[in-house]
Amino acid sequence: MTNLVQMEELFFMIAFIAYTISAIAFFIYVALKKDKVGNAAVMLTIAGFLFHNVAMVLRVIESGRLPFTNQFEFASSFTWGIVLCYIVIHFVYKFTAVGAFVMPIAFLVMGYASVLPKNIKPLMPALQSSWLYLHVGTAIISYGSFAVAAGLACMYLISIKREKAGIVQQKGLPDSEACDYMSYRVIAFGYLMLTLVIITGAIWAKAAWSRYWAWDPKETWSLITWLIYSVYIHLRFNRGWKGKPAAWFAVIGFLCVIFTFIGVNNILPSVHSYK
Amino acid sequence: MLFILIAIYSIIGTVLPQGLAIEFYIENYPKIGNLIGTLQFDQVYSSWIFRILLGLFMINLIGCTIKILPVQLKRMQKNYFMKPKVDSENLYTEDMDIEEFKSQLKKQKFYIEETKDGFRAAKHRIGNIGSSVTHLGIIIIVLGSFLGNLFAEEGFFNLLPGDVKGFPEYGFSIQLDDFRLGYRENKTVDQYYSDISILRPNKEAEKETVWVNKPLKIGDLNFYQTTYGWASDLLIEDSQGLELEKKLLRNGESFFYEPEQLTVFLYGFYPDFMLTNPGEPISMSEKEDNPHYAVILYQLDENVGSYIVEPGEAIKYNDVNISFEDSTLYTGLTYRKDFGYFFVILGSFLLILGLIFSFYFYSKHVIVEEKSIKTATRQNPWGFDYAIKRLVEKSTKRGEKQ
Repeated sequence: MTNLVQMEELFFMIAFIAYTISAIAFFIYVALKKDKVGNAAVMLTIAGFLFHNVAMVLRVIESGRLPFTNQFEFASSFTWGIVLCYIVIHFVYKFTAVGAFVMPIAFLVMGYASVLPKNIKPLMPALQSSWLYLHVGTAIISYGSFAVAAGLACMYLISIKREKAGIVQQKGLPDSEACDYMSYRVIAFGYLMLTLVIITGAIWAKAAWSRYWAWDPKETWSLITWLIYSVYIHLRFNRGWKGKPAAWFAVIGFLCVIFTFIGVNNILPSVHSYK
Repeated sequence: MLFILIAIYSIIGTVLPQGLAIEFYIENYPKIGNLIGTLQFDQVYSSWIFRILLGLFMINLIGCTIKILPVQLKRMQKNYFMKPKVDSENLYTEDMDIEEFKSQLKKQKFYIEETKDGFRAAKHRIGNIGSSVTHLGIIIIVLGSFLGNLFAEEGFFNLLPGDVKGFPEYGFSIQLDDFRLGYRENKTVDQYYSDISILRPNKEAEKETVWVNKPLKIGDLNFYQTTYGWASDLLIEDSQGLELEKKLLRNGESFFYEPEQLTVFLYGFYPDFMLTNPGEPISMSEKEDNPHYAVILYQLDENVGSYIVEPGEAIKYNDVNISFEDSTLYTGLTYRKDFGYFFVILGSFLLILGLIFSFYFYSKHVIVEEKSIKTATRQNPWGFDYAIKRLVEKSTKRGEKQ
């Protein structure tokens, strides 16, 4: 078992290093516009993702459950969700430069995970439920999507500056319109997943605590995040709202996601503070 | 705007402690203590301001849905086709095969209608009502949970093994047969089990077990494993060993023994006792490996002694001996009846369905005229254009391409 723990830590660190180098490589790609660097960054991301998967599988073998139950496990899974979302977008749209805006977020969240205690604790009675996997699994995908959307929104903000300055977009770097719409589509997906997070959480809370909604700070902040993205989607649907304000809204929404994850766990008293 | 106001008001409830006496706020937030009371920031989620905000939100949502639904239903009809925007990109290429393009659209389940200049194609008309279905879901959730909470019945009770709690209006009682802790190898608690019997007149008792995440439904009532604790026998005897008083005390409870004007306060029972460095008693586990009691005696509100004693070990005070023994686990169960949950589930289903309609089955239209292919959609024009461009590429005449 000790070997497994060491192996898990080793693969986790390799994945972290791969994500770090890939984030730097993506920056170099955007600066130097060399396809070889861009391809290497993508390959590094994929390699890091594979190592990350191995680390997570080892943890599943060690603990006998999915890695969803404390801050380290969620931060690691959150990074996994971000990278997965980026890889899917890369293979669908082939915009290499998106990595320069997404991988730094993956690096930061993984960095946060790396400083958290990694010990495996048995599940407390309230967490012993199949709803855990649906509730936290959808949260990982949702948060990962919002991170990628925030990266795309930053990319949009830089793109419009470049376009205003008359700089021609390079290959692999989507134009501002593409960034804007991709960000929106990713938010739409993340929003659907966040809705599922809240609903599965409510159903689970009913079974565990008798009430489907109790205004716990984590619940409330999830609702606040949901409201913020609701405003975004509503304005986009009905008012054709897009461009710069939408991009800033995507960034603010993601900050809210980060606060819901890190801030609520560490600052506010909550029944969701699984440390 | 309402969304933002609801969000801001909700944030206050997560930052300020809720449901405390107004004196607490005045003492801890002297500058805004009175304001907190006036604006009901001490009970944000049950305040009138919050209810008014939610009410306005509901009125807004219902009004909006009533306004847009007829238009959306009209857009679902077969003969409705969206007009492309004036500045929308022409996706037609000279080397494409229009018939092949049409067959590609058919393969993707587009409905095709011929026109004198070409054809029109449409798909996913159901997406038009996506937002209304979403709104309906939210309305059902909010109204259902509000009304459900208004008429909800909830309570909490403790039972010692053998105790019975009656629910005469529902025609049954429940008796706790046993309360058990499930342990892991390291002595930590894995699960809490309440073994209960459901007693009904003229019927055999039904045996059931309730544990965390496994509530028990009896008729309209649901029972939940909520808490547990230790209850211990307090024994007061005279110097000859004659029993003067026997009382069951839970941790944190006290008993006033009138003849001596003495209050016996059971600070806690520690089944696996240990003293921490600052001298605070703790229990290493819930297993009775090293049971001890922490007891404080008061006379006329004055602390006259603090003791750590083993089961049966007497504390001598004047002419009486005070001891504790026979500690038993008791269970704490919550019961709740709430018809609102059904509406929350129904509303949630509609909410998810509406979002899927809106995001993934949004209405898509392609208008093909003489040397012109334009798309029209309200949801994702860039993505739809991207998909149609790929179809156009697929429909390129192979011979000419080579």
